[in-house]
Amino acid sequence: MRRSWIIVVGIIIVLALGLISQYNRLVSLETNIDGRWAQVENQLQRRADLIPNLVNTVKGYASHEEQIFTEIAAARSRLLSAADPRAQMEASNSLDLALGRLLAIAENYPQLKADASFVRLQDELAGTENRIAVERMRYNEAVQEWNRTIRRFPTVLIARLFGMDARPFFEASPGAQQVPQVQF
Amino acid sequence: MGKALKGWLWFWVPMLLAVSLLAASSCFAALPRPVGFVNDFAQVIDQRTRMELNGIAEKLRDNQGIEVAVVTVATTQPETPKQYATKLFNEWGIGGSEDSGLLILLSVEDREIQVEVGYGLEGVLPDGKVGSILDDAVIPYFIEGDYGKGLLEGTKAFAQALSGESYSRKSSRNPDLTGFIIFIFIAAFITLSARRSPSGPGPGGPLGPGGTMRRPRPPHIHPMPPTFRGPRGGGGGFGGFGGGRSGGGGAGRKF
Repeated sequence: MRRSWIIVVGIIIVLALGLISQYNRLVSLETNIDGRWAQVENQLQRRADLIPNLVNTVKGYASHEEQIFTEIAAARSRLLSAADPRAQMEASNSLDLALGRLLAIAENYPQLKADASFVRLQDELAGTENRIAVERMRYNEAVQEWNRTIRRFPTVLIARLFGMDARPFFEASPGAQQVPQVQF
Repeated sequence: MGKALKGWLWFWVPMLLAVSLLAASSCFAALPRPVGFVNDFAQVIDQRTRMELNGIAEKLRDNQGIEVAVVTVATTQPETPKQYATKLFNEWGIGGSEDSGLLILLSVEDREIQVEVGYGLEGVLPDGKVGSILDDAVIPYFIEGDYGKGLLEGTKAFAQALSGESYSRKSSRNPDLTGFIIFIFIAAFITLSARRSPSGPGPGGPLGPGGTMRRPRPPHIHPMPPTFRGPRGGGGGFGGFGGGRSGGGGAGRKF
């Protein structure tokens, strides 16, 4: 009688230890995603900060291209006011499209393309796009590991128990795959 | 199970396991390994220029703790040169513990140069500055087809822009002991399996268990596998990069 009790208690202890270690693993995976997302946000913010300068430089040569300027301003303010990652991703993607159009328009103004500060801003913008791409990739890797883990047994039980959900990937918008290039 | 079979298993199972582990640890990335500060995989830099580049890089590392890698490849396909540059930078770990690294990558067939700036140098070398250095010092030579000269002048210009900067020379990387540890395992398993080898006498034989006679030891193997990379020695020479990281900063040009 006593012996069977000891066995039962032993099994419970082993199960509890397993549960704790798996739970901790899930917590650190989730924290990792949040950290990665913060890095993405940093770079999105950095790009949003670059845009006013870029727009002003373009305006100096192509002031009548009103429509694109308002489009960019709208996308930018949507990005800055977006509250959750999903909204930020959407706003960022529409900003990508608008920026791509702005740079395409700039192609028609040779003087603008030769402007030293425009070239510098374009480099900064391209670099920031690259940084966003890198951080997005690292974020997506973290999300992938998380989503895989919470679907697997036995972590799926813990994830269900504590209401841990799958996280969204940050997909690039189809038009924004190409980083703007400065070409000569 | 027969004794012979058991001994055979004892030898080959750990052996196969160890070999496959070694293979996995050294070949999972298709990226080349660094051969020095100058990695002219596309063979477009002449000997003299390479020596000069190497001299600049060594001085930067020894005096300022900045690691510069100059790399030429034929092509970076299927990736873009920029993606390749970011991967290579982080795989090689260019720069010390303060991420003070710089990668200058020329992809000859793509006709593109990409400069990847480590996190620690992003403040002194913002993307716009990198771009203007490329425009002024590098692209004019590249258009003439003189890749060596362009890379040399570019590296000089970057060194100039970085003058006065100083970073920790410490490596952020623990010495890579994976290969070493795996090797120890192999050695241990071989020793173990030799002890239990089927050719040895079994229990009850003339040298039963607990016998005091010595057996011949297996030949001693030096624990120095090819992938072992120790901590960097001081001063002079290449000796590996310091584990720096980057996040896609820098600029590039097609020409």
